[in-house]
Amino acid sequence: MVSERLPSREAYYQALAESLPDGVAVVTSLGNASYLWARLRDRPLNFYMEDAMGLAMPVTLGLALAQPGRKVVGVEGDGGLLMHLGALVTVGAMAPENLTLLVVQNGVHAASGGQALTNPDLDLAALARWAGLRNAETVRSADGFRAAFRTAFAGRGPSLLALATEPDLEIVTPPRPFNPIVIKQRFMDALGVPDYVPSVFGKGESSS
Amino acid sequence: MTLVASPRYLQTVSVEAHRPRETLAALKKAGFRVAVCVPDSWLGGILKQIDEDPAMTLVRATHEEEALAIACGARLGGARAVLLVQNVGLLTMGAGMVSLAMRYQFPILIVASYRGSPRDPVFYHIPKGRATEPVLQGLGLRYAVATAEPIGPQVSRAAAFVEESSAPFVLLLGREDIQW
Repeated sequence: MVSERLPSREAYYQALAESLPDGVAVVTSLGNASYLWARLRDRPLNFYMEDAMGLAMPVTLGLALAQPGRKVVGVEGDGGLLMHLGALVTVGAMAPENLTLLVVQNGVHAASGGQALTNPDLDLAALARWAGLRNAETVRSADGFRAAFRTAFAGRGPSLLALATEPDLEIVTPPRPFNPIVIKQRFMDALGVPDYVPSVFGKGESSS
Repeated sequence: MTLVASPRYLQTVSVEAHRPRETLAALKKAGFRVAVCVPDSWLGGILKQIDEDPAMTLVRATHEEEALAIACGARLGGARAVLLVQNVGLLTMGAGMVSLAMRYQFPILIVASYRGSPRDPVFYHIPKGRATEPVLQGLGLRYAVATAEPIGPQVSRAAAFVEESSAPFVLLLGREDIQW
């Protein structure tokens, strides 16, 4: 990384919290990507992932395809992106217009203690364009993020913003430990997804 | 010495129905809107059918663990999602299976071509066939191997099982069940 002073993840997240319209679904990847977002802006339309490294982006893709009428934001790390770089190609191929990806580029495996990444200096925006995403940009300031997010969000996706940042290695404690089933159900309720009604109650299908 | 074939080897598959068509019809009847795939030679024809079906979205993923995550995301958004993969995908998707699909209790149906089973003696598939069921058992993942009975009801039961159990379920299919 270059020697300029980069914003913290928290500075980007504050800007995201200010910029995020109501009704947008947000998926966050493991570690502080989820824990800090839960501290700053816990809301039912957040789907927090823990562990399952590299899968936040494909989960967000599936969600965007199933909810074409809703804006969807996915937050992935640079390590997670590299782990399933192929998924970026799938995003480009499916090209959902409602999808915005934010990649926290800190150059390390932050959630596991800050081990060096295979290549910390990749131009992730160029990778995203190569993979077929409509808009991709690297930002290096919170103000730059606000402007780029506004532009990406107003236009047709898929978009990717790489957020150049300093590593945050201290694990943030979320407001309460995540219960995966509760997180999932709360999120699906907020989306208005019908519950599955078991066959013993006469349905055996999804029903509002 | 007289060799007597065991009844297992006398099992025959009904030929009156086009079993891959029955498989797809059962998936559609169960309401699967999204199919996520990593192909196998047995799957090529049915994937083409799905791709041309306006009622379904086919996602061609680059890796089976990625495919599983896309399916989980689709189900999170309210769309029933089925994976179509070769059984080797059950070996490559292990981490996402336990950390995402099983931990978050996503009802995902996995339809897998069962390569390298005793009924598919291809030398390079056999190592995968040998590992498949022990790995599923090790993961604690419920599964069924398709029998010679009509395939449609077997797919329908598997589709019901995922929702009733809020868990992934694997249906291992033979060539006659899936190759269009």
